[in-house]
Amino acid sequence: MAATMVSSAGGLLAMLNETHPLLKLHALSNLNSCVDQFWPEISTSVPIIESLYEDEEFDQHQRQLAALLVSKVFYYLGELNDSLSYALGASSLFDVSEDSDYVHTLLAKAIDEYASIKSKAAESNDEAANVDPRLEAIVERMLDKCIMDGKYQQAMGIAIECRRLDKLEEAITRSDNIQGTLSYCINVSHSFVNRREYRSEVLRLLVKVYQKLPSPDYLSICQCLMFLDEPEGVVSILEKLLRSENKDDALLAFQVAFDLVENEHQAFLLNVRDHLPVPKSQPSEAVQPVSSDPTSAQNESSTAAEDVQMADGTSASVTTVPEADPSEVMYAERLTKIRGILSGETSIQLTLQFLYSHNKSDLLILKTIKQSVEMRNSVCHSATIYSNAIMHAGTTVDTFLRENLDWLSRATNWAKFSATAGLGVIHRGHLQQGRSLMAPYLPQGGAGGGGSPYSEGGALYALGLIHANHGEGIKQFLRDSLRSTNVEVIQHGACLGLGLAALGTADEDIYDDIKNVLYTDSAVAGEAAGISMGLLMVGTASEKASEMLTYAHETQHEKIIRGLALGIALTVYGREEEADTLIEQMTRDQDPILRYGGMYALALAYSGTANNKAIRQLLHFAVSDVSDDVRRTAVLALGFVLYSEPEQTPRIVSLLSESYNPHVRYGAALAVGISCAGTGLSEAISLLEPLTSDVVDFVRQGALIAMAMVMVQINEANDSRVGTFRRQLEKIILDKHEDTMSKMGAILASGILDAGGRNVTIKLLSKTKHDKITAVVGLAVFSQFWYWYPLIYFISLAFSPTALIGLNYDLKVPRFEFLSHAKPSLFEYPKPTTVPTATSAVKLPTAVLSTSAKAKARANKKEADQKEKAITEKTDTSTAGKGKSSSEKDGDSMQVDTPQEKKAEPEPSFEILINPARVVPAQEKFIKILEDSRYVPVKSAPSGFVLLRDLRPTEPEVLSLTDAPSSTQSPASGTTTGQQGSASAMAVDEEPQPPAPFEYST
Amino acid sequence: MDPKLTEVSQLFERFKAAITRKDYDTCTQQLSQLKVMLTGFRSLPPLFEETPNSVHELTLARDIFEHAVLLSVKIEDQDAFERDFFQLKPYYTDARNRLPESPNEYMILGLNLLRLLVQNRIAEFHTELELLTSTALENPCIKHAVELEQSFMEGAYNRVLSAKQNVPNETYGYFMDLLAKTVRDEIAGCSEKAYDYLSINDARQMLLFTSDQELLEYSKEEHSEWEVKNGSVFFQKAKDSAPCKEIPSLQLINQTLSYARELERIV
Repeated sequence: MAATMVSSAGGLLAMLNETHPLLKLHALSNLNSCVDQFWPEISTSVPIIESLYEDEEFDQHQRQLAALLVSKVFYYLGELNDSLSYALGASSLFDVSEDSDYVHTLLAKAIDEYASIKSKAAESNDEAANVDPRLEAIVERMLDKCIMDGKYQQAMGIAIECRRLDKLEEAITRSDNIQGTLSYCINVSHSFVNRREYRSEVLRLLVKVYQKLPSPDYLSICQCLMFLDEPEGVVSILEKLLRSENKDDALLAFQVAFDLVENEHQAFLLNVRDHLPVPKSQPSEAVQPVSSDPTSAQNESSTAAEDVQMADGTSASVTTVPEADPSEVMYAERLTKIRGILSGETSIQLTLQFLYSHNKSDLLILKTIKQSVEMRNSVCHSATIYSNAIMHAGTTVDTFLRENLDWLSRATNWAKFSATAGLGVIHRGHLQQGRSLMAPYLPQGGAGGGGSPYSEGGALYALGLIHANHGEGIKQFLRDSLRSTNVEVIQHGACLGLGLAALGTADEDIYDDIKNVLYTDSAVAGEAAGISMGLLMVGTASEKASEMLTYAHETQHEKIIRGLALGIALTVYGREEEADTLIEQMTRDQDPILRYGGMYALALAYSGTANNKAIRQLLHFAVSDVSDDVRRTAVLALGFVLYSEPEQTPRIVSLLSESYNPHVRYGAALAVGISCAGTGLSEAISLLEPLTSDVVDFVRQGALIAMAMVMVQINEANDSRVGTFRRQLEKIILDKHEDTMSKMGAILASGILDAGGRNVTIKLLSKTKHDKITAVVGLAVFSQFWYWYPLIYFISLAFSPTALIGLNYDLKVPRFEFLSHAKPSLFEYPKPTTVPTATSAVKLPTAVLSTSAKAKARANKKEADQKEKAITEKTDTSTAGKGKSSSEKDGDSMQVDTPQEKKAEPEPSFEILINPARVVPAQEKFIKILEDSRYVPVKSAPSGFVLLRDLRPTEPEVLSLTDAPSSTQSPASGTTTGQQGSASAMAVDEEPQPPAPFEYST
Repeated sequence: MDPKLTEVSQLFERFKAAITRKDYDTCTQQLSQLKVMLTGFRSLPPLFEETPNSVHELTLARDIFEHAVLLSVKIEDQDAFERDFFQLKPYYTDARNRLPESPNEYMILGLNLLRLLVQNRIAEFHTELELLTSTALENPCIKHAVELEQSFMEGAYNRVLSAKQNVPNETYGYFMDLLAKTVRDEIAGCSEKAYDYLSINDARQMLLFTSDQELLEYSKEEHSEWEVKNGSVFFQKAKDSAPCKEIPSLQLINQTLSYARELERIV
């Protein structure tokens, strides 16, 4: 017989009205089991069941049962609040381990409720928050259950959300994979914990847990400590690692240092470095045992033993010294290295070498621009210079300037200023030679020289750009220059330069110097001073901000107010809620320029947090402020707030990008450009595309620049729209009737698109998802170019090389192959532009036709054996990356039937890259280390600096990059034409690259 | 036989005896006991577990509830009727194919229909009707109720009242009495709408009262808004009291204006 189905709960409901309590109980328990099916019927009787729950005469169990039933019905009715309150009434009958939608939903609701109560209590500093103990009990039950079931991630998530650090610790320590859990927790705390103080608490806890582990993950600890700004902790870890006998520990220490450097937190890095003991002179000198000073005496076994030996007496140390010496020597040597890394010099130098050796910029593009730009149009003229600087940022290649000295000399006044400053961008990171390179333009101490103040100011600015964020060596010189002049143009340059060099150091003396300039109340110098003060005080939230605000109210010059407004905004960088008072003050100001600064303050204080409150405020200002400038900036600021979640931005600003107000549209374009920079995000491109043909010229400009920022390092194989965009740029540049504004945008866009010799991208987040201060600050000041073109150069601060650079123990770059498991064409350099006419002779890169990837690899190997390493390096990349594209172009001259051959051979699905190699962000996930490789990375990272462990240390090492390409250059022999042309004196005679050998495949 | 079952059967016998004795107080007590005992059987709704005695148990339970329904009619307790009927219903519907048909089924269903009619719950009446099979509709008990409802809807109130004479079962008498009152309420409701006033004489005839006194009492109890003066009954007040819905024009205008303002600001 078929099982009998129940068709209605009517009978049971009727039973509820019976007088006998047992019948009611029976009805309740049966209803409870069939509520999932009959809730619509039961819902009409809810009042009866409620009255049962409230009936004091009933026994406890029955009332709880009634509560549970009501709760379920309310759940089905979608009344979650009521449902939860009844579920709480059901207390123990509400079973958290039950696997049903009802329980899941209510648990989520309960946790939400609890979390919001807790965080509200925390925000109002109300210790005795009256949390319903029943609610707390449910959440705790849930947490315990998660931990029991091994769902540690959920448990941690809930614990963080509910501010239950005790539970968080429990979850972490009880998990089976503590390392994994911890790193997960760090991620979570960065991406989901919105309040800064609370995040610090979480991190502090994490560090505590980390340190308890037997084999701590030093990389992560140090990242945490950096966020907490506790250099002492980092120092003690580094010392411990350096002291270790094991070479791997030292490698790890170096890796830690590199990772710290990547976050560009200059003040912190300097602090760490200053806390490290000074290495004891040269390793070659005999180290006296006595000199092991107390600062370096870590409670480490090796040192302790040494100390004991010391006590034995120095006289007897004929035998002990050699024993103690090697470790001391090694330690000192390691210290020297790590100090080098921490000061940023090592990484900067390596980056410079990489950018120089891999430079693939296309001079033909510049040439086209130059030819199409009218001579008299100074805006486009200087835009071309900017574009050149950006294109060659950090590569030290200034061929274009040297070839076009005459053309360059048309730059006068401020154009000259920026032309000179452009050299700083090109030579960015050239720390050793920087000053001598710029020497011809620098103000000649006291004598007043014949140099134009514009090029002198520009040169000081250039020095700042070269030493951006690593200004130890140059600070003093810039200060002296600032003090010894009263020409406002030079002051302008010096202020910017100082701000850049001393970024975020909060140096009081420098601040005072700059303040003196500010108080001269000169519009030109004052603007730079305002920005510079902000740069100096980045993220310190010092009281200086109010001082600046007061002056901004006093002065009459709009330029100064604007500079100060941005400066104030910079001081609150990353301070989140702490900045709220200041933001409030600025956004309520009468003066639109200060409100405009307020937008920047919002953007920077909440940069990369995707904080909802900040977004809401910005959107509000974007539609309600009376000043167009404020509205534009408010929209633009969204880009900064959202850069940690680039996918969100196009969605949020899409409506704004259709606004009737061109300023808002412009802001929307740049917001997308900033937050989606370098991602090539499809939605972002779709949003920007219509804007590039907007009716208003400056909107087009913004859209073109933003598009270039989004598409940087994306090639046509990845997104066909890149090609379209490149052609569009060319068309705009060549079009005689195009507006100057959009033409300038197009020129700049071409520069950004191929920035840094096509080897850099714009990156606002480091690999560990911390924000890179310099980059963010750079873009923030860059976005000011609306008012002041020379600020365009600040974009170079946001460039970060896309490279994987493997280093050995000596911090040299060994030859090391690894695999990119993707079609080479996906990530290759864009094809060089074709020569329009036969006359414009451009040296084409060498072409190698290859039949198969294997042949290529074989060729690589052969070459590697045969040739000088540096040369090999160069040809290899061109072979691997470019072979096909150039072969196509050279086809006719080489008399090879290319098309057929192409059809015949399918593209290989992988590519062998050689250290150091260009690895674009999208490529990172395809990077693999070869199995039988000699080197193994200390940490698995697909890009950036990676320390390599040598598995066969006995074999001789082959180095890929030897010395800095330009370190051999003679320091500016000064063919002094300083007067006439800004860049003319660039007497760095770089030899053209030797023609790489041709090679025909058979 | 299961001892529990025997116990229930014995108690049920005593219960039936009490009904025949018309000792209703004992009956209700015993019934309550019976119901509690029934909850112990797992074969009964809503669990319907298959047990060896299930058919027997189900039949017994059905009997008990049928008697409970009839008892409630006897003690004239409409709430109890409804309660018991709902508990009985699963035996008719869900357990239909497991039990032999009950002789009382259609009578009780008809009673229920009548009850709904009396309580003027026409919607539920039709819902119940829809659930019945076509053969059930042929049954005189059901047919009676259906015809009553039709007359009731047509407004043929005299037919409704005359139907009292030919009830299919003596238990129907209670509800038929009640039905007369329902009919009167209907007529009163209609009169309110149809007339501004009625002379007392007409009203008395219309509302099927035998004396003016009854009419006055009725109007006092049920329709306090009626006014009796100058030998007539005035319904004016009842009409006035119906609220006239006004269009909240001012509010709407304000809202629309604010939307327009917002729109202008946003895009």
